[in-house]
Amino acid sequence: MTALATPLQTQETGSDLDPRDPEVRLAQLLDADSLVPLRPRDSSGVYAVRGRIDGARVVAYCTDATKMGGAMGAEGCRHIVDAIDTAVRERCPVIGLWHCGGARLAEGVESLDAVGQVFAAMIRASGRVPQISVILGPAAGGAAYGPALTDVVVMAPAGRIFVTGPDVVRSVTGEQVDMEALGGPSAHGKRSGVVHVIADSEDDAYTRARRITGLFARPGLFDLHAVRDGEDLGALLPDRPQRAYDVKPLLRHLLDTEQGPDGTQVSMFEELQAKWAPNIVIGLGRLGGRTVGVIANNPLRLGGCLDSLSAEKAARFVRMCDSFGVPLLVVVDVPGYLPGVGQEWDGVVRRGAKLLHAFSEAVVPRVTLVTRKAYGGAYIAMNSRSLGATTVFAWPTAEVAVMGAKAAVGILHRKKLAAAPDEEREALQAKLIEEHERIAGGVNRAMTIGVVDEVIDPKETRRRLAEALAAAPAGRGAHGNIPL
Amino acid sequence: MAEEIRAEMVANVWKVVVKAGDVVSDGDTLVILESMKMEIPVLTEANGTVRQVAVNEGDVVQEGDLIAVVE
Repeated sequence: MTALATPLQTQETGSDLDPRDPEVRLAQLLDADSLVPLRPRDSSGVYAVRGRIDGARVVAYCTDATKMGGAMGAEGCRHIVDAIDTAVRERCPVIGLWHCGGARLAEGVESLDAVGQVFAAMIRASGRVPQISVILGPAAGGAAYGPALTDVVVMAPAGRIFVTGPDVVRSVTGEQVDMEALGGPSAHGKRSGVVHVIADSEDDAYTRARRITGLFARPGLFDLHAVRDGEDLGALLPDRPQRAYDVKPLLRHLLDTEQGPDGTQVSMFEELQAKWAPNIVIGLGRLGGRTVGVIANNPLRLGGCLDSLSAEKAARFVRMCDSFGVPLLVVVDVPGYLPGVGQEWDGVVRRGAKLLHAFSEAVVPRVTLVTRKAYGGAYIAMNSRSLGATTVFAWPTAEVAVMGAKAAVGILHRKKLAAAPDEEREALQAKLIEEHERIAGGVNRAMTIGVVDEVIDPKETRRRLAEALAAAPAGRGAHGNIPL
Repeated sequence: MAEEIRAEMVANVWKVVVKAGDVVSDGDTLVILESMKMEIPVLTEANGTVRQVAVNEGDVVQEGDLIAVVE
């Protein structure tokens, strides 16, 4: 881990006007006038404070980009460890603002040891208090792994995360790349999955961090009277079952909305890792006022198939929600696991196993809604009854099966179909499909054997989901949130 | 800058919706693939003009194959 020099645009005067000054940055994150230093400002390169976000207590720390590019020395690292330990003691979220070139070269191994102690503090706190990182500038070397150990990483447009910078990459591998291409918002939002939220500006990064912190720090209670219903959510699905569609509008209708500045109702859904493994959608929102975690297949991408990356993405999210007691809502429309040599060699079995483990281990209320199809191994993985779902609902259009009836008949009755005369084959196939649906597929059979609890009216979905989540005993998993 | 749109998965090309020269914007459907018994639209994330459509209806595309170029 090497230090990365950041060119300074302004003199190191410590003036309040420098936009990179930790006091200026923390003031934008926290409620007005709520900032109380944990320790007086010093030259350590880190400033740690107590404060409030939407009235909820938090601890926050900020690396000081005005001093040596924000490089981490032993003293500064001790402040971060202090801040995290304080948050754990006081059971409140801790937010880190990062603009830091890595460990301080001049301090040698001492600074490496100190950076390691920051990691250890983050891991001690993992799953006990929410940890949120906001990347405002370069976060290199040790400063890259710090945020990666936390629960949610928000990145501003100027944010860059990498272990070794462009110069080292060039000298070792010969690859020509700049800081943005190597570790900017697009690299980590789409390719690596390190960053959960890509912000439009530094201001937006604070807003998003405040919103996510609020969802954790003020989870609220289910208020069943507040759940508006009556809208035909089934109308949001396409007419034909094989048609792909974007699941996000459906999720926005399932979750609460709030009054926007222009008076219209806007969704409060905070999607995480939106552009990475987009065939599964994860995010936080509210249902009946209570914070919930949402996991949904997105048929628009890869047909909504599960694959190795999406399984891993969902698994980590399930474990995060479980460790903070956030109930889960799982919206299923999945044609199966994505077939392919690449998938198998990529470890779709190893990574898919994480999702099975995460769901089955989770003790928070977790309710499943099957909207269209739930096939095969992917049916099991999407919080099925067998994995211990609190309740499994289905819409009348849903189909739960090992595979689609046509494909199943093609395998089960291959010889019979082949033996039939050409002109009768189609009729025979249709008859066999109908028979197969009656005994093996459709939603009725799933209800008979108890893997679907109830078929519900799409118009009553919000109320029924909220009731089921509210009725289940609250739980909270006793485990950390390892960055799977 | 030209944006290359490539196949995310192995699929059959079911319908080609645009042709070279068409003006498209973020979210528009370029072609519709058929895979896993699903009709999966391939969307553009870039605004611009379609410079090339590299597939025909009935083709089989592999993951990573070029589908279209939007400029």
